[in-house]
Amino acid sequence: MDNTVISIKDLSKSFGKHEVLRKIDIDVTEGEIICIVGSSGSGKSTLLRCINKLEKQTTGEIFFRGKEIRDVQREINEYRAKVGMVFQSFNLFSNMTVLENCMLCTRKVLHISKEEAFDRAITHLKEVGMAPFINARPDQLSGGQKQRVAIARSLCMNPEVLLFDEPTSALDPEMVGEVLNVMKELATTGLTMIIVTHEMAFARDVSTRTIFMDQGYIAEDAPPSELFSNPKNPRTREFLSRYLAG
Amino acid sequence: MGLISFDLTNPQTSLEWMIYLTSKYFKMFLDGTWLTLYIAVLGTLFGFLLGYIVGIVQDMKIGEGDNAVKKFLVRILKGFASIYVEVFRDTPMIVQAMIIYYGIRQLGVNLEPVLAGIIVTLLNTGAYMAETVRGGIGSVDHGQREGAWAMGMSPMKTMIYIVLPQAFKNIIPEMANTFLTNLKMTSVLNVIAVQELFMAAKTVGGNFYKYFESYLVIAVIYFVLCFVFNKIFNLMEKKLKGKKDYVLAVEYMDSQ
Repeated sequence: MDNTVISIKDLSKSFGKHEVLRKIDIDVTEGEIICIVGSSGSGKSTLLRCINKLEKQTTGEIFFRGKEIRDVQREINEYRAKVGMVFQSFNLFSNMTVLENCMLCTRKVLHISKEEAFDRAITHLKEVGMAPFINARPDQLSGGQKQRVAIARSLCMNPEVLLFDEPTSALDPEMVGEVLNVMKELATTGLTMIIVTHEMAFARDVSTRTIFMDQGYIAEDAPPSELFSNPKNPRTREFLSRYLAG
Repeated sequence: MGLISFDLTNPQTSLEWMIYLTSKYFKMFLDGTWLTLYIAVLGTLFGFLLGYIVGIVQDMKIGEGDNAVKKFLVRILKGFASIYVEVFRDTPMIVQAMIIYYGIRQLGVNLEPVLAGIIVTLLNTGAYMAETVRGGIGSVDHGQREGAWAMGMSPMKTMIYIVLPQAFKNIIPEMANTFLTNLKMTSVLNVIAVQELFMAAKTVGGNFYKYFESYLVIAVIYFVLCFVFNKIFNLMEKKLKGKKDYVLAVEYMDSQ
């Protein structure tokens, strides 16, 4: 049985004349934890947004479990329900409490019962340590707390893949740790994760595979032990030395 | 007799006339007030509904993956919506009232003035509310939609559960404002013979040739109505802002 979850074939994306992604090929296997690193503007976030169809690729295809995801709203919705996404700016629904945030999509998309939705919400909120805050509204929480709720909210959908778009970049330094810890815990559960991040130590320690992006290309795609200690591409070397020095 | 006494059988001063007219034509003023409220409330409520629908239509996006029929329908709807909004925003309500009332009568339909008044008010409100709703939808952070889309919510469900509730909250002050405007704008409906407050004042004033006093009476009524509603809306807005604190679910505390 082929255990490739997501397969990206020859994907390119341009905004007008500006080419953001060029000829991206990635196969994501079940259980992989892929960290995508690279300097700002290298296209990592756009790639993640393309994977979730929040951006439409200019050319190329995305396959989920061998089936191409076409530009049909219903197919996209079904696909997104299985591929969760955690955003840099959390995007918690500000008109709802923490609990409602975690129950809305399971109820309205997966159509599970209220009791089951509640149980799922509590289970995952407990995992991220946010269960006592079920009655709070997003604007009453700190950034780290919001991001933990956002992760729990995505987990409630029982996704097969979870995408993280710079989940700690909007956080105060003292809150980065709590979110990274939650993600480290998740990594041990076998969930397939694709993480765009600037946290090099996290990428090195947690990922099973690290992708370095440069000017819209995948410059290097290797296990972290290789990529961080013995980068093949001169651009990777340059990037890492800048990061480790600064 | 107190310090201030009025000879209501033989009014002399303006104040005396006002009181005289009010007591003599109390029923007329009361009926006028009711009718004004009736038209304003119904016209505004249905106008809001129309405004929401038109505002949502105007906010619709045509996706590249949509089929030709849907694209065509959406374009037509959007076309109608923008013509409607433009026409009603760019003409005075008093003219709209005349055209609609006499226009429908010319078609052979005997339209009650009150019903015509409600229709004019709701069409007018709808056009303004459509713009307000569109602005309200636009004011909701785009990330809110992406958050919902990313979990498989359809654009329609996202609109219903996420965007509209937030937009609604943002435009409550504008909705209150629209209602107060309508309350006052019903006065133009006297041109199509609606027996609202303005018409009452005109009739009463004409009986004694006391227009100044008569209109002063309804000015006071309009003022009191608007003042009271304004206070009510302010209270409602405060209530809707919700509580600042929240209850910690202590039953889950040990999970930390």
